[in-house]
Amino acid sequence: MMFWVLAAILTAVVTIALLLPLARRVPVVAGGDHDVEVYSDQLSEVDRDSNAGLIDEAEAEYARAEIARRLLRADRRSDAGIEERSGRMRRVAQVGVIVAVPAIAMGAYLTAGSPGLPDQPLASRAAPPSERSGPEMLIAQAEAHLADNPDDGRGWDVLAPIYLRMGRFDDAEMAYANAMRILGPSAERHSGYGETLVAAAGGVISEEARIAFQSARELEPDEPKAAFYLAMALVQEGRNERALQAFEDLAETSPPDAPWMEVVDAQIATLDRERSATGSLTLAPLELPNLAGSQEPSAPSGSSAPSDEAAAIQSMPESERREMIVGMVESLDARLRENPDNADGWMRLMRSYSVLGRDDAANDALTRALEAFPRDSEQGAALLALASELGIDAPAEEAQ
Amino acid sequence: MIVELGHYALIVALATALVQSVVPVIGARRGDLAMMNVAHPAAIASFLLVLLSFGALTYAYVTSDFSVQNVYENSHSLKPLIFKISGVWGNHEGSMVLWILILVFFSALVATFGGNLPATLRANVLAVQAWITSAFLFFVLLTSNPFARIAPAPMEGRDLNPILQDIGLAIHPPLLYLGYVGFSICFSFAIAALMDGRIDAAWARWVRPWTLAAWTFLTAGISMGSYWAYYELGWGGWWFWDPVENASFMPWLAGTALLHSALVMEKREALRIWTVLLAILTFSLSLLGTFLVRSGVLTSVHTFASDPTRGVFILGILVLFIGGALSLFALRAASLKSGGLFQPISREGALVFNNLFLTTATATVLIGTLYPLLLESLTGEKISVGPPFFNLTFGPVMLPLLLAVPFGPLLAWKRGDLIGAAQRLYMAAGLSLLAGLAALYFATGAPVLAALGIALGFFLVFGALTDLALRSGLGKTSLAVSWKRFAGLPRSTLGGALAHLGLGVSVLGIVGVTAFETEQVREMSPGEVTEAGGYTLRFDGMEPAVGPNYTEDVGHFTVLVDGEPLARMDSAKRLYTARRMPTTEAGILTRGVNQLYVSLGDPVETGEAAGSGTIVVRVWWKPMVTLIWYGTIIMAAGGIISLSDRRLRVGAPSRSRRARAAMEPAE
Amino acid sequence: MTRKQKRLAVIAGGMGVIALAAVLVLVALRDEIVFFHSPSDIAAEPVTPGTRIRLGGLVVAGSIERGGGTEVRFAVEDGASTVAVAYDGILPDLFREGQGVITEGSFQPGSDTFVADSVLAKHDENYMPKEVADTLKSQGVWQGEGEAN
Repeated sequence: MMFWVLAAILTAVVTIALLLPLARRVPVVAGGDHDVEVYSDQLSEVDRDSNAGLIDEAEAEYARAEIARRLLRADRRSDAGIEERSGRMRRVAQVGVIVAVPAIAMGAYLTAGSPGLPDQPLASRAAPPSERSGPEMLIAQAEAHLADNPDDGRGWDVLAPIYLRMGRFDDAEMAYANAMRILGPSAERHSGYGETLVAAAGGVISEEARIAFQSARELEPDEPKAAFYLAMALVQEGRNERALQAFEDLAETSPPDAPWMEVVDAQIATLDRERSATGSLTLAPLELPNLAGSQEPSAPSGSSAPSDEAAAIQSMPESERREMIVGMVESLDARLRENPDNADGWMRLMRSYSVLGRDDAANDALTRALEAFPRDSEQGAALLALASELGIDAPAEEAQ
Repeated sequence: MIVELGHYALIVALATALVQSVVPVIGARRGDLAMMNVAHPAAIASFLLVLLSFGALTYAYVTSDFSVQNVYENSHSLKPLIFKISGVWGNHEGSMVLWILILVFFSALVATFGGNLPATLRANVLAVQAWITSAFLFFVLLTSNPFARIAPAPMEGRDLNPILQDIGLAIHPPLLYLGYVGFSICFSFAIAALMDGRIDAAWARWVRPWTLAAWTFLTAGISMGSYWAYYELGWGGWWFWDPVENASFMPWLAGTALLHSALVMEKREALRIWTVLLAILTFSLSLLGTFLVRSGVLTSVHTFASDPTRGVFILGILVLFIGGALSLFALRAASLKSGGLFQPISREGALVFNNLFLTTATATVLIGTLYPLLLESLTGEKISVGPPFFNLTFGPVMLPLLLAVPFGPLLAWKRGDLIGAAQRLYMAAGLSLLAGLAALYFATGAPVLAALGIALGFFLVFGALTDLALRSGLGKTSLAVSWKRFAGLPRSTLGGALAHLGLGVSVLGIVGVTAFETEQVREMSPGEVTEAGGYTLRFDGMEPAVGPNYTEDVGHFTVLVDGEPLARMDSAKRLYTARRMPTTEAGILTRGVNQLYVSLGDPVETGEAAGSGTIVVRVWWKPMVTLIWYGTIIMAAGGIISLSDRRLRVGAPSRSRRARAAMEPAE
Repeated sequence: MTRKQKRLAVIAGGMGVIALAAVLVLVALRDEIVFFHSPSDIAAEPVTPGTRIRLGGLVVAGSIERGGGTEVRFAVEDGASTVAVAYDGILPDLFREGQGVITEGSFQPGSDTFVADSVLAKHDENYMPKEVADTLKSQGVWQGEGEAN
């Protein structure tokens, strides 16, 4: 409320200040007067200089004549002065100021401003005064301590998740790495490290992060965070059947009131719905809250991005892996037959066939893909680039 | 609430600037004094509003209000207070608000002290100022709003780039902007005069103090920026011909030319078209500089926050203002008649000579700066234009100009006597040649070119002193009379001579450090010594240390003369923890005008020296280097003294003094 | 001299100065500029030994070898090709593996190693020299903005 009162006062004062000259009656002022002042001053300057001997008499005479000519001209001009005017134009200006200033100010501010948001100086934010020396002071002290004793693994261990929660991902990455170096690996450190990588990448689970979660799982098969992220990785790869399975496993082993269960349930529901809707699962990532904020460290984030399929499959037993790949590739192929307008899908298909050693099928996929995306389109070029990378022969130009 | 009020004030400032852009112009066209007068409260109000806004932003920085995105991104609660404040303009958004604050500050100055300007001229000047203000307020509010909020607010900020956490950087941008933006007044005067169709000697008189003020600030700003780069970057260089440096140097060159041509116009009403064009070009170069720095189209060592979309916006402003101004100029220039006549050899001739060379020099710098950009957009080839280009083009253009500087002030107006001037400079020239020979003798093996450079520097210094001596009649009359005449010299004469003298001092520094500098890069183990500039430098070893927001490895050195310790020097490798950013802190020892400069490289980790505390050290002996900056300080002092000339005191002479002058015509 | 002749002389003098400056600029633009090459440019078309160029790219991880004193060898890549660089001097503070750098120097006759006399890395930790960023984008290595295909 106070803000609006002050804003109104500010607007009113400015508007009135702008209106004052328009309301006043002004005297007639001659225009050339100021020039005359300047030239008279120049004349007196010449006099001063010649008196002081700075210029000789002939030179001074010249200068005087020249200035006198300018003075005459300015004198003539000063007759054409400014008359007092009033009337329509001035009234238009008055109305314009009264309307424009508040309208522009309020209009622009309401779209751009955040009127409800109070100031939040740091001093007033950390609630009890004893905690004013709170998180950031503690962090600073810990940092100073670690600068002196960089081999204190426990210090890094404590600091790492705090950095992560503050969004200082680089520091968190370094802290986890130091903790692991000094104290040795643990499931918690591995998954924390992975989570940092995921957060730093804006939710994308990279290969490095996936390996970190995998290591965490090897050390402690029940680690929920690792299980969660590995399931999310499956979603990102579009392997929704497996992802669903992984989420369901996680839901079973977790207590029902665990903080991550809400997200897990939501994922299961989405994946389930996808399956019943299309018969097979397609890629449908769930938008999750971003980690960078101040949430629980275990409420993870995720969004989806295509990732390297072959790498993900390596973690399965050999026979299952082969079967899995073939089944998946075939379902992808079938889907692309129905809906060929999916460049990423085509690329995945080509890569898959190539990995399986079925070059003829890869070749066929490229031909079909180029029907959907002409060679000169951006996607077409990308497809051809991938093909040459994979060693797939592009169909001859005339075939198109 | 304070933050939001700051945001609101900035928007009201835009509304005010829009009113100020329109109403006074209509008033001036219709001869309606009331409408013209709206410009006055509008200019004052704009200034107060932007000041309020800037204050609110500063408040947010000082209280570490991380709900303001700009504060979150560029500040840290543990930063020292001074750097919290300087952090306000250490980033793109804040620096643009500072830019605007200075712009409206100058408008308010014109409104307050421009009482003696003709009403239409004043109204138009303030309206043109308001056009620029509006454009930049739109830019800030639409593309780089410093008042964007984050909810919920983060607990800690991301800290300011440590290299910007320096006292030099706290002062450098405001000074530079005072110069840059100060030229907007000259621009506005030029546009207003073109709109009015009246450009005469009186106009030049009114423009000159503004030009002088902007030039003085810019001189000081560039000088400070150069010194900052010299000691903070640890490379030992003081000028890199970097695009961002060129961006501030071009307006300086053009502004210097403007300063001289306005003089001709005021005295003789000649060079009218040219002076108006220069006024437009000078500010255009300032705008171009802002564009180059803020858009990041050029790779530079000095740009920090850059974003191409903002670049497009500024480019739009640039095209609008430069294009519009030049079109208006083309339309109106034909109607301007040329003024007083003069012989080629005369004070006017000398000033034309000055303008010719200065603008040519500006053009070479402009070409060197923009050519890579042009070539890349035309052919896609990427090139860099470095110091060799500028040494080959800028240097030869400046040389004749520097040689001519001492002659200019000795020539009479209208018709000068070159031989006479040369005779009066015999002494100065002789002394300078002696100084050059002395340099050749004392610095054994000094190149002849260096000796000539030294002679040139001294020629400028002695030339300026000769000018003052002649004007005060030294040697012709008694000392007491001379002193009286010296004290009675117009301040602008004194300031001009001082500026020329400062230029000479800077030239001496540049020549000295370029020709006689020694550099060595070598490994040093603790206890090892090396020689530089007649001093012995002993490396005492490395020591870790912790600062408020960084850790560092400090290298201790002792400087010895004849085996006796003289001083200690420290150079450090720092690591700023918040950003994990390494920097090098140079150690500098000043002896007279010379400096010993030590900078650390990497520790040696291979070979038998590994682990013994051996480190690569770079040692420079930089003779006369501080003269470069002393010279610029003298130049700026000359500007200030000139400004204090009562005739130039902002606007025209006061009414009462004129009345007195009229009553006593032949005092 | 008549007034007209004088004016002509002044104009001619001015033109002379400008022409001289233009010649200087043209000569300097021919001789004193340095072209930027990426490692894949060099792979495609070798640069004549002795020609000064700028070479930019990412410092290959694990390629930094320090010799005696201030000598250092490293390799610069842009995702497609790699060029070995030898440098004798102090490296900038921000020089590290994976960092974008620009080096200036030339190839020696009969050697594939680029001999640099200056190495630049900007004093902003997010810095990627513009030329290097462009090359990396065209080579598909760049991950800075958007997604890389």
